[in-house]
Order: sequence, then structure tokens, then C-alpha cells
Amino acid sequence: MADLAELKGMIEAALPGASVEVSDETGNGDHLRATVSAAQFDGLSRIDQHRLVKAAVKARFDDGAIHALSVKTEVAS
Amino acid sequence: MADPELKTKVQELIAANPVLLFMKGTPEMPRCGFSMRVVQVLDQIDVEYGAIDVLPALQPLREVTAEISDWQTFPQLYVNGELLGGADIVEEMFESGELAEALGVEQPVVATATPAAEGLPAQSPPLQIE
Repeated sequence: MADLAELKGMIEAALPGASVEVSDETGNGDHLRATVSAAQFDGLSRIDQHRLVKAAVKARFDDGAIHALSVKTEVAS
Repeated sequence: MADPELKTKVQELIAANPVLLFMKGTPEMPRCGFSMRVVQVLDQIDVEYGAIDVLPALQPLREVTAEISDWQTFPQLYVNGELLGGADIVEEMFESGELAEALGVEQPVVATATPAAEGLPAQSPPLQIE
């Protein structure tokens, strides 16, 4: 079962200073959504921004705690 | 470790198709909501694209795209040899007009989520990986 607070913490640790929200869209932990605003995204393509977020929580994909994570990124101003 | 032969095949397909979608199912019959969302976007933008159904070789293709693009989930849209993104990115870029720009086409006037049932753009025939 996905731990939303842990996922949020993992993303924040990977992207210090980022503003992160993780929500559970269906309520069963299967489809999570992360909204991340980070200054580190500046100059990166969207796919690279998403790679940073996915890499931060990779361990939870690998151990099967999460299956799908929708990501929305924006460059923090 | 990805199958080297399949990896070469995939790299050749990406190089040969300026717009290439790896998806679950086919454009006519998507088998996953995320794949369907990308097809709907591409159908609204008048662009010809190749589509590959990943379901017959899902795990081997995951291993290949992990090595090629550091990305393991499908759909994946490649434009001019580069992974542009999955459903989230494609939709976001469509809505902002960046997708039309990346594809070198005009942004359609009506950018809604549901394409018209008629007048779908021509698609290239489905590509097969033997």
C-alpha cells in the first residue's frame, strides 16, 4: 500500500525546496498523482522533469507499493 | 538486460518513423486508457504517425525502452527519434500548443478532449515487431 506522505518526502528529498503534493485519485492507492513545482526543473524538457520525479520514488515502484503515478511538473518561479 | 536484437529493431523503428507511438492495443482499439488519451490527441492534430502495439511483447519492450530512454511505462510517444513523453506529458503539451510545435503542425482550433468521430486523419498502417 502506498504511503502518500513517504512518497512526498522522497520527492522533496530528491528535489530540495520543491513544492510537492501527492494525492490518491481513486482511493485505493492504485492511481496516484504527484504535482511538483521545483526550481530544479528550469531548462529541462518535460520528460526530464518527469524522470527526476519518477527516479525519486523508483524504490516504491520496484517493491510494488505503487503501480501508476501521474506526474504534473512546473518550474518554480 | 534487454534482448539486443529487439533493441536494434526498436531503434530502427524509432529512427525510421518521425512520429512513433508505442501503445497498448491499436489506434482503432486501444487497450488502456492512457494509450487511448494519446491516440485522441494525435487524432486531433493532423499528423501521420506509426503505432506499435506493445502488448504481445510487453516485458521485453519494457526492458528495451528502459535502456534506450530510461522509461518503462507505455504509452511512449517518440518524435524525431526522441522520447517526448507518456500520456500526461503529451496531453499537457497538446493543451499548451507545444506538441503541435514539436510536430511542426498547426495547433487545431478546437482543443477539446473528445475528437470528432468523423474526419480522422490518415494513419500509417500498424507496425509489427516480429
